[in-house]
Amino acid sequence: MDFGFTPEQEALRRDVQAFIAENLTPEVLAEMDGLSEGFGVRPGRARGGHVEKLFAKIGARGWLGISYPKEYGGRDGDRISQYIVEEEFARADIAVGLGGSGGPAILAAGTEEQKRHFVPKLISGEYSFALGFTEPHAGADLASLQCRAVRDGDEYVINGQKMYTSAAHVATHMYLMARTNPNVPKHRGISIFLFPMDTPGVTVRPLWTIQNDPRAPIGTTYGTPRTNETFFDDVRIPASALLGRENEGWKVGAMGLNLDRVGAARYLISVRRDEDIVNFTKSTRFDGYSPAQDPAIRDKIAELWIEAQVCRLMTMRSMSIVEHGGNFTYEGSAEKVWAPEHGVRTTEAIAQMLGPYGQLLNGSPAAVERGVFAHNLMGSFQSGINHGSVQVMHDQVARRGLDMPRS
Amino acid sequence: MAQCPVCGATVDEAAARATTGLTAHGASETDPTKGTRQFHEGKWYYFDSLECRSKFLAHPETYAKD
Repeated sequence: MDFGFTPEQEALRRDVQAFIAENLTPEVLAEMDGLSEGFGVRPGRARGGHVEKLFAKIGARGWLGISYPKEYGGRDGDRISQYIVEEEFARADIAVGLGGSGGPAILAAGTEEQKRHFVPKLISGEYSFALGFTEPHAGADLASLQCRAVRDGDEYVINGQKMYTSAAHVATHMYLMARTNPNVPKHRGISIFLFPMDTPGVTVRPLWTIQNDPRAPIGTTYGTPRTNETFFDDVRIPASALLGRENEGWKVGAMGLNLDRVGAARYLISVRRDEDIVNFTKSTRFDGYSPAQDPAIRDKIAELWIEAQVCRLMTMRSMSIVEHGGNFTYEGSAEKVWAPEHGVRTTEAIAQMLGPYGQLLNGSPAAVERGVFAHNLMGSFQSGINHGSVQVMHDQVARRGLDMPRS
Repeated sequence: MAQCPVCGATVDEAAARATTGLTAHGASETDPTKGTRQFHEGKWYYFDSLECRSKFLAHPETYAKD
């Protein structure tokens, strides 16, 4: 095991940092505000403007889809290089990773046609998925989902609904988990389908949570403008929309979710606040006094920083396992516990450091850093619930990491 | 018109499903204030409020009718 970066990887990091310093112009920054859907601004979110030109430049450097196969639009690169690029761009609120479960799941379970159709467009940002997993009564117990897909000749007919379909209002496609056989144990009768959002019968309506505030400025790592409830009424899709085999969607979905839990975005969404508060305390003076000189603040920040480094090491270990083709079992789940809980501790500590000013939201006079810390304080709690709750992750660690029986 | 299976209120199912706009990539958008619904064991149920839907989900055997 090597804990260091190669000279080539260090050079790559310097290249990316120099690129960002040169290209993140005030015009780009102004346009980015309002375009983030969580994890930063993604390619494909703005057409014809400065952001699109920026992503064209990033693509020309070969920094999009680095670890994906060349034949599907990637670069055949290693995951640590991918991680370095993602990490540096994520600090600048630019999401160069694919994000979401779609890409890894399609590569693992998709047909050749699906890989050639979807993966290059996911890398370029032309396509993006909304994840249709959770239902009103099937969240932590996802396998109880009721959304139905019934085979009818060369088609499937979908009826049902999904909750918390984040980005469904901006996504091009739905990545749907539906029940195809109600007469077998619940984990075995589930399949996954990929289809365009404009398929007749797909209806989206907004849900607003404490994580969703349109005022949240760029840099709010926990903020997404809104999430959604999505309904499917007699939605007819071709049989070729099936990902993997019929009734084997549980494994495909779980694998995709697991892979989605690792990566620079997951690390940075929770620990970027540590970097921001360090920079803020070092660059700010109250009545001639620097908060960075306050022993209590220094002590807390150092404690959080150590936690952040643990988080970073867990992320890199997970990516290293995937890179070397190892058996990736509980590691992503452990990371999905540590990072969000660290994020909650960080945002709470920052709120205490900043006092009343730290509670002012974007748009309020005297809001600290445009309210980023306040918006994160609200959103951080959801990070331990969304995308597999901390309790579900604990259960997976117990079963997969410690070989304990099902409860 | 449908009837809320929990409180009996009348729900305009057409309004609950009516398209009020389109998403960025062409899915219909609806108005969340016009009632809600739930797909349960192959059938849609309409509710006047999320509170009623939550009661239904907690005890569907009490409220679901063939």
